[in-house]
Parts: sequence; structure tokens; C-alpha cells
Amino acid sequence: MVMYYIKKFLSMCATLLVVSFFVFAAFAIIPGDPATSLLGTNATQESVAQLREQMGLNRPFLVRYGEWVGSFLRGDLGESYSYHIPVSSMIVEKLPITMTMSVIALLLTIVCSVPIGVLLAKYTGSRLDKVGYAVNQVMMSIPAFFLGIIFTYVFGLVLKWFRPGGYVSYTKDFWGFLKYLIMPSIAIAIPKCAMAVKLIRSSILTEAKKDYVRTAYSRGNSTTEVLYRHVLRNAMLPVVTFWGMAFTDMIAGSIVVEQVFNIPGLGRILLTSISNRDFPVVEAIIILIAVLVLVTNFLVDILYRVLDARIAES
Amino acid sequence: MKSKYHNAYFMIGAGITAVLALLALIGCFYTPYDPDAMNLAAKNTGISWQHWMGCDNFGRDIFSRVMEGIRNTFFISVVTVAIGTFFGLLVGALTGYFGGLLDEVLMRVNDALFSFPSILLALVMVSLLGMGTVNVTLALGIAFIPSFARIVRSEYMKQKSLDYVTSARLMGASHFRIIFVHILPNILPILISSIIIGFNNAVLAEAGLSYLGIGIQPPDASLGRMLSEAQSFLFTIPWYAVFPGLMIVLMVLGFSMMSEGLNT
Repeated sequence: MVMYYIKKFLSMCATLLVVSFFVFAAFAIIPGDPATSLLGTNATQESVAQLREQMGLNRPFLVRYGEWVGSFLRGDLGESYSYHIPVSSMIVEKLPITMTMSVIALLLTIVCSVPIGVLLAKYTGSRLDKVGYAVNQVMMSIPAFFLGIIFTYVFGLVLKWFRPGGYVSYTKDFWGFLKYLIMPSIAIAIPKCAMAVKLIRSSILTEAKKDYVRTAYSRGNSTTEVLYRHVLRNAMLPVVTFWGMAFTDMIAGSIVVEQVFNIPGLGRILLTSISNRDFPVVEAIIILIAVLVLVTNFLVDILYRVLDARIAES
Repeated sequence: MKSKYHNAYFMIGAGITAVLALLALIGCFYTPYDPDAMNLAAKNTGISWQHWMGCDNFGRDIFSRVMEGIRNTFFISVVTVAIGTFFGLLVGALTGYFGGLLDEVLMRVNDALFSFPSILLALVMVSLLGMGTVNVTLALGIAFIPSFARIVRSEYMKQKSLDYVTSARLMGASHFRIIFVHILPNILPILISSIIIGFNNAVLAEAGLSYLGIGIQPPDASLGRMLSEAQSFLFTIPWYAVFPGLMIVLMVLGFSMMSEGLNT
């Protein structure tokens, strides 16, 4: 059991190493010399050469990669080309915003998808199920940022429940901050929630065909008892994996939705860094998201083991 | 289980997709107005017989721009999925069929890429390649390869140990022939449903990237970019945002309903 976790952990580290190598290599081979772009086009050749020496760009590729990984492990993410401040300080400030939004969205997805999915599965074939299923299908197809725009119009401009663009920093007013993040989080959550509902419904219906369900019925259990005591637990296994994937998608999706609601999170610096070709920042954010994705997958693996007694025993 | 209920899903989905495809096709040759022509007299006008979807803040006909946008989104998504399918099939088939060290290495890389959300991969690619329609299409195409490769690989791993492959091998068929003539037709159903899902993801990713301003560049119309432009005029001309958004929803809905009808 413990061996399994250690193996999974090591494999996670290996994957991270592969990702970091690719990211570093990709940004090292693209045309455009960082020293030249830093100094501008009318810099003298000597000053460019000097800066290249200073930045260590003349050394072999693998040496630079090794140092880059080393400094990352020490928590030094490099310095931004355009702002000349440590990347880590830029990110540390923004990370809580994006994470809070994604976590609220994930919680909303979990809280809403289970009861709706169970309800649709319980009354499968009924009019409620048919209508619910169709509505669900539509909800799945609405991109989060379009929902965000609809929310801005309906709840922001018409109903005036919140002030569009009125983001409050979490250091100033934490409740105001949370309140402002609710709408974007709902916008991110709705499509994912719809997908989860569909998965939960079909997963329950698949489980319900299995032998142990018939046994449970023949022992005199009611539908409700069979559903909640036996089926649901097994049916949730694939759903847990989906939630894990949905969470990483939400982090990426929040990059777009942040723009809709004018929230200065990770997405904002990622986008400005991409257009400024501020590569240390882009690299650091990619690695950070890679870490988040891999840690999420690792946690899902653990949770899966805990939930599924069949895997846990073997 | 092919029920009437699910056939209805397929028919409605196919109907929506057909109408949008027709709009895109007509949009290649004819739009009611020049999509880029500004007409200050018609600025911010609402829905009318002359302008079915109203006009934007420059007096451009929104319906014409939506037609152009659907065409662009369709085109980018089709090319994206084509790139993803072709290379994904190649990588997945070879690694799944032959296995070995190459498979191990490629799959490690593939898993690392696969765990990334595709819009993020595309963003990274765009930051490397630069912005614009061609680069975004390429970036999305590359970003879609891992998911196709993964599905195809697992199918080939399942199929290669089946009897018909062994007998084909005994009859002296080459590996190339087995991979593409014998096994490929058997994995087509799964490939088709992943193409449909891939198409939807491509539409969403393209719209997202264009919304962020790094996809199709102005003055070319794109549904995503129209949404971001519309956002500044949400209060005065809300229909400017509604129609492009609705088209994105319908595009995704059409395909997902078709796949719904096919799968069940």
C-alpha cells in the first residue's frame, strides 16, 4: 500500500521532470535572443554579448537546464524581463485568486452534480429525466466565458447584484473578494457540473445492472436503500476521476473567465507575459500549473484507492 | 440500445450542424453585407428586416459577421481535428502496436501533455509561435495530438492480440498492412466519437483563444473575438454578445447531440 504511493509519487516526479525539460527546451530553441529583446534593437553588439555572458546564455544547454531546475527547487523562479522583479513574488500574489475561484467552482460542481445526477438516475425514463437530460445537454455546450458575459449582463447590469469589474483585493476585504468571485465561479462550474451530472447518471445506471444490485433487492432492500447504500458508492468511482480532471480544466478555464470579470489573477499575468514575450514568467506559470495538475492527479489516485475497497485489498 | 428518443437527439443535432455548416458554406461566397463595411448611420441599431441580428458599434452587420465567424471557427476546428487525428493516429498506432522502449518514452511524454488542459497547451504554443490564425490552428492541432494518441494506442493494444491479427500475420501480411488495413477499420467507431468530442473541444478552445485576443486577428470576424468586443457595449447593444455566443453554443450542441444519438 505504502509502496504504491511511493511509486506513484516517484512517477509524478518523473513526469514533472519530463515536462520541465520540454518547457525549458521549447523556450530555449525559439527564435529571438532574450538578451537582444531585453536591450532593444539599437543595442550595441558588445552590450548584448556582455548581457549574454551575464545571463549565462553562452553555457551549454544541459548545464543551464540543470541550474534552472535547481533554482526552481530552491524557490527561485527567475526574474521577469519586463518588470525586473522576481517572478515568484508576481505569482505568489496572484495564485490565491485563481485557486480560490477554481476551488469554489469545484465545490459547487461537487455539491450540485451529485443530487441532480442521482435524481435523474432514480427517475430514469420519466419525463423529469428526459427534460433534465436535455437541459443538461444544453448546459454542457455553453462555454464558461459566454456564461460569464450573460451573468455580467443579467446580474450585473440589469439586476445590479454585483458591480461588473468591481474586483476587490483579498488583502483589503476578504468577504468582498469572495463575493465577487462567486459569479465567475458559478460560470466555470455550470458546464462542468452538467458533464458530471451526465456521468453520474450513466454511471449509476451501469452499476444498477450488476449482480450485487439484484442480490441486494432480493434481500428485501428498497430502491432507496440499494441506491444509497450499495450503488452510489461504486458509481462514484469514475466520477472522482472526472472531478480531478475538471479541477485542472477549471484552473485553465479560469484564465479566460478572469478576463470576462476583469479579475487580475494568474490568467492576466500569463496573457500579458505572452504578449510581452516575458518568458521567465510564462515558464514559471506553466511549471506551476503542471505541478497543480500532477498533484491533483496524485490525490485523485489516492482517493480512488481509499474509496474502492476492491483495489485497496489487492 | 437504439431508441427513438436517441435517434431524435441525432436528428436534431444533425439538423443544427447542417444549418450552421450551410451558413458557413454560403458565408464563403455571399454575405448580406460586407462583414467589414462600417455604416455609421446603422450604428448600434437593433434587430430589423435589414439587419437580422442588428449592427455593432461600427454599424457593421452582425449577421454577416457571424456568418464569417462561423466559417472561420469551422475551418480552424476542422483543420485542428485533422492534425490531431492524423498524428495522434500515427503515434498511437505505432506505439500501441509495437510497444517497447519507444512506447514507454513516448507515452510518458504523452501523459504529461495529456494532463494539461488543451487551451493551456495552445496558449503555450502560441507564446512560442506567435499569434494569428495559422499559428493558433497549428497550436491547437498539436495540443490535440496527445488525447487522440492515447485513445488510439489503447485500442491498438487491445486489438493486436486478437486472433484475426495473428492469422493475418501468419498469412504474411506486413505490419504496415495490419496496422492500417486490418486494425484501423475496427477502431473507426471509437475514432469517430473521439473526433466529434475533439471537434467540440476545438470549437471551445478556438472561441476561448479568440476571446483572449490571440486567435483570429481583426478585422477578420471570429465568434470569440466578437464576444470580447461586445462586452464593452453590453449595456447599449446586448444582442451583439448574444448572437455570436449563441452560435458557439449551437455549434457545440449540434455535435454533442449527434454523438449522443450515435453512442446510445
